[in-house]
Parts: sequence; structure tokens; C-alpha cells
Amino acid sequence: GFRFASTTASLKTETEVDTSENEIVAPNFTNRNPRNLEQMALARKERGWKTTWPKREFWHRLRLERTQHYVEAFVERSNGDVVVSASTREWAIKRHLYSPKGVAACRNLGRVIAQRCLEAGINFVNFKAIIPWEHRCDSIQEFEKAVKEGGVVLHEPRRIYR
Amino acid sequence: MAAPLLSAALRGARGGRSFGTAAVLWKRAAPLGPMPNEDVDVARLEELQRYRSFARYLRQAERAGREPRWWNTYRKHSHPPAEPQPDIGLPPERLSRAEELKERKRILRENRRNAEMERAARLRTVLIPLDEVRAEWERTSGPFHKQRVAKHCGLFRDLFRGATFTPWVALRVHYSQEDEYLVPVYYGNMVTPSEASSPPEVSYEADKGSLWTLLLTNPDGHLRDADSEYLHWLVTNIPGSDIKAGKEMCHYLPPFPAMGTGYHRFIFLLFKQHGPIDFSQDARPTPCYSLKMRTFSTFDFYRKHNDAMTPAGLAFFQCQWDSSVTSTFHQLLNMREPVFEFVRPPPFHPPQVKFPRHQPLRYLDRYRDTQEPTYGIY
Repeated sequence: GFRFASTTASLKTETEVDTSENEIVAPNFTNRNPRNLEQMALARKERGWKTTWPKREFWHRLRLERTQHYVEAFVERSNGDVVVSASTREWAIKRHLYSPKGVAACRNLGRVIAQRCLEAGINFVNFKAIIPWEHRCDSIQEFEKAVKEGGVVLHEPRRIYR
Repeated sequence: MAAPLLSAALRGARGGRSFGTAAVLWKRAAPLGPMPNEDVDVARLEELQRYRSFARYLRQAERAGREPRWWNTYRKHSHPPAEPQPDIGLPPERLSRAEELKERKRILRENRRNAEMERAARLRTVLIPLDEVRAEWERTSGPFHKQRVAKHCGLFRDLFRGATFTPWVALRVHYSQEDEYLVPVYYGNMVTPSEASSPPEVSYEADKGSLWTLLLTNPDGHLRDADSEYLHWLVTNIPGSDIKAGKEMCHYLPPFPAMGTGYHRFIFLLFKQHGPIDFSQDARPTPCYSLKMRTFSTFDFYRKHNDAMTPAGLAFFQCQWDSSVTSTFHQLLNMREPVFEFVRPPPFHPPQVKFPRHQPLRYLDRYRDTQEPTYGIY
């Protein structure tokens, strides 16, 4: 049980009243942080979708989209919500590049998105969902190298089942 | 043919045991929208434009998968469309767009004429200055990106019950360590409690004569009530960007995420005040180590001072338990340290059926109260 101080207000008993109630702790703790479970590797990954491609077994996926005029990189969740993105359409990146498409643009975009991912606290990202034969092309290889050098690990840790 | 089946099934549904038939579930009706591939003219297939590459097809397919459809999709089921949330932030500054565009076009034209840049781009040696890019990003698309990350970390849902704001003011927070090492706080990065043990240095751009309020809360760490937050630092009526000159209503308490509870969010909120505000109701006594007094709700706090201030800046970090938290509990908060363990939700099993179809013998184990496995005992 807890003893509460008497109603007479005196400086000495005030500090006792202040911290004596700290010990009361609810037995069940709920953490509302949506990123908590995936950072502890306890969250579920969507393991279905085995008959389709690309698979959705990840917490965050890095997707590089190369269009005719620009290059864009998105880090998104399995339900499609984009968390962090970078594109050569942004003025901050476009002004330093000679052309917003091409290998040099991909490489610099990789550096920028690695920096933004680390700032957002995303350290592990899945980069598997690229078309297999396109993985060999120069721009995607340079992008991957730049992201790895930026400090982001390109495969997610395995979920803890037990 | 459908009508007698339908009436028989309906008769069954009204009373007695009905026999299950899918005829009850669907009846002939016009589709509620256009069928897929309706616009493809099957008679003249040779005139159709081909994809000619898998990448083009994949991009088209992914874009089509994201479109809203009139039939039920998994996307609609798992991702119900959100109602538009009220915006409680500062209005965006309306700069003259035409001049900005002209300036940008001029810079781009100069880039294209620059032979050095072309050489660097073609030889793939160009490396853009990341700090300049970041500075420009903070001015242009930074606030929107920060708002997006904050939305995904559930900040608006937990602090303001859904109301969002765009953090136009770039809040730079960093904790300084002993050997002149700086641990910055961006939007979601990891900081340990030992690094965050002393108050950080906060800087932001502010006009002279403007008043600000800085608030540090932890919406995840409450040990008694899951819906309220802990107030770690509250400095009010800050003139300009000088934190020391502001009135500290609640002194800084280092973060104390309990062991086993995982990562907690610690959120710095910067409010712009329209004038001097009286915060005497929110004042905590100077050495305030009582968790009851530090229990806080940003929603009620903001609702009280709604008219006089608006949220303008945002920065948050994720924090996990480490050994300095033990000393915080023992010395500062004067309590025993609580230790928690992750409890997995029980595995879901559908209601038990008397004659299960295509189930192994361990089907019975799933519904037995005791632990008697029928597998691996021989």
C-alpha cells in the first residue's frame, strides 16, 4: 500500500507526496508508436501475395522509378503509403544536375535518399522488387552503391517469431 | 430458373434450416460501373499500341492497381479512405511564383550551357553538394516531407486527434556530447537516453519581436494511462530564437523509456504565439519529478491556448531503453524501475467444428486447454 502525506502543507512532506505516487504503474503497457513493432522486428510482414509479383513481405521498400524525363525514388510501406521520397523533379536537386535523368542523376539521387532515410530513422529497406534483368544496368547499380554508401542497409532483418 | 431457387432459399432463411446456395448471394443486376477492358476494341487488335517492354507494362499495372474501383478491393478493405483533416498550422507564404520560375529557368539554361557540368555528367563523376541540397530542401519541399513522415509515425493522430499542420519553420535541435560531438534530432532518427540527458540546443529562424513556445512531450511512455503523455520540457514566451530568455514553465527531464517497451517517440513542438500569453496554469514547480504532475495532454493544452498560438515547427526522435534510464528512475524519479515484457497476441483459431475437413490430428491440440501435443511424441 501507499502512504499519502497529511493535508497539512509543509515543504518536507510536499516532496514526499510528489514522488511517492510514481511507483503506481499499470500492469499492462501499451505503446502507441506505429513504428515500434517494426523497429523491434516484431511486426508482421504481409506474407501472402505468393502467387503475384512483386511480393509485399517487407516493412519498407525502396522503389526507383526511371521515367523518360526524371528519376524518382520512393520509400514506401506495404500498403503503398510513401514515407520518404526524393526526385530529380525537386528544385533542390535539379539545380545541381546537368540532366535530371541518367546514371549521374541516379547516383546523386541515391545519396540524397540515403540521407533522408537516415534522418527519418529508416535504417533497413527492401530493394528486391526490381525487374531482375534491369538490376544489371548501370544506373540501378550506381543507385544501389550510393544508397549502401549512404548507410542504409538494403535488406530487412528477419522477423522474430519466438 | 433463378427465381424458384431464390424463393426456396429465402423461404429457408426465414425459418428452419436453410440449405446454403450461392443463388442467394447474387442476383442479376447491371454492373455499377464500367467493366475492365471495356474500351478495348476486340475486333481490331492489331491497331492497339503494344507495351514493347516489361517496365512500361509494370508501371501501367501498378498505376492501375492504385486507382479507386467500384468493386470491393483489398485496398479499400485495408485502407479505408480518410476524411479530410483540419489544418491547424500557419498559412503558407504566397511568394510571387512567376519571378521564381523565371529565375529557375535561367539557372537551368546556364547549367545546360556549362561544358564542365556536361563533362562531369557524361563521365559520371558529378557529386552534388548534399548540405546545399538539404538547405534548399528545407525551404521548399521540407515541410511537406516532414508532415508526411509525422503522419506515418502517428503524431497527428496521437497529439492533435487527427488535425494536421505543415511545419513551415525549420526547427534545428541537437544534443551536444562531451567531446564536441553533436547528436542531431531530425524527423524520426534514433537518439539514446544517455545522449539526451541534458537539454539540447534549439535554433530556428525567427523575426525580432515574435514570441514562441517550445514543448517536448512523450506520447508513448505513460506508465498508467495509455492516452496521456509525459511533459519533458516547456519553455514559453521565447523572444526571437533565444531559448534562454524564455520562461521555463517545466524544467528539462531526460527521457526514460522503460525496459521492454521498445521505441518511444519524443516530439519537439514549436508554437508561434500571436502575443504574450499567461501560462501560469501550466507552470510546474521547479524540481518537478512527480509523474502525476508531468502527465500532460497536448490536445487540451492546445485547445486552451488555441486562439493565441499556432504550431509552426516539428522535430522528433525515437528512443529506446539504455542503462542511464535506470539511474533516472532511481535518482530523479525516486522509484523502482518497471520492466516490461512483450506479450504476443494469442494465435487466432476459427470456431471448432465437429467434423473438420482436411485438418491434421493436431487440430484437437489447438482447442484443448492443457498442453498435450499429439505430434512428436513417438
